[in-house]
Amino acid sequence: MFKDLDPILHSQLRLAVMSLLIGVKEADFTFIREKTNATAGNLSVQVNKLKDAGYIDVKKNFKDNYPLTTCKITKQGIDAFELYVKNLQGYLQAK
Amino acid sequence: MMQESKSMTEQESLNIIHSMIQKAKGNFHETGASAILWGSIIAFCGIYNFLELEFKFPFNVDVWLLTLVGFIPQIYISIREKKNKLVKTDLEDAINAVWIVYGISIFCLFFYWNFAPSTAELILKNQHIELLQKNTLNGEIITWHPQIFSQVSLLILLYGIPTLVTGIARKFKPMIFGGILCYTFFFISLFTETKWDLLLNGLAGIFCWLIPGLILHKKYLKNRASNV
Repeated sequence: MFKDLDPILHSQLRLAVMSLLIGVKEADFTFIREKTNATAGNLSVQVNKLKDAGYIDVKKNFKDNYPLTTCKITKQGIDAFELYVKNLQGYLQAK
Repeated sequence: MMQESKSMTEQESLNIIHSMIQKAKGNFHETGASAILWGSIIAFCGIYNFLELEFKFPFNVDVWLLTLVGFIPQIYISIREKKNKLVKTDLEDAINAVWIVYGISIFCLFFYWNFAPSTAELILKNQHIELLQKNTLNGEIITWHPQIFSQVSLLILLYGIPTLVTGIARKFKPMIFGGILCYTFFFISLFTETKWDLLLNGLAGIFCWLIPGLILHKKYLKNRASNV
């Protein structure tokens, strides 16, 4: 049914992460976790998948001795997201 | 809670995109600390200066020096807010740029006030021109030193710019109202003497920053409590 849709993006949590990041410059891992209501472990796995696909940049730093992970959407990620939305619209119009 | 493996319909995909974009957009929860700080300082300085002139206080204090002291807590607030920021947006960067440019402009305005009259006097002197003023009551003629009329009006005009820009960009009505009120105060100040301009300046501080800052702070505390 959704053969043309990007499998990396066609997943609840990964799509939620990308939808959040498309509207901001960069976001903290904690912010993404709060907004998506996901568990840290699950989110971490999905963030890594997006990173491996080249859709987001992940920077790991330390703030007050605590790890700080910042995520930022890449140009490749923006293009993939736009294509995903376009394909999605195609499906809805075809219905 | 979001699942990774759950299959989605196209409508569900759109719903996720829509709700996440809304969540990211609705993340404007500034502490309001800077607005409260500067609103209080400007309100205090303006109103104090008005009372000083109205009631002719016996002691002479330049209350506006307090604005320089205000930079110390401002630096602390800026560092703390930057540290605690979980998300950065392009809109936020643009608004910060507006406030930085505003700060530079205010700084330049003080130079304009302090140097423009003496420079004008010097230029006139080099051209062998002396400005005179005549007392229409007793006919006395004395030297008139150039001055900038209604200086405080310029200050009020500048207050309005970043306030209205922030209000419109953030769709934050208290700042839109404060900005519009500033322009109203500016026009009124063109027709009033300096002591009333100073009172309008103090009121501008209250409506542009203090009240919006308190509203922002209340929202921030409410948001923080809901995230606990």
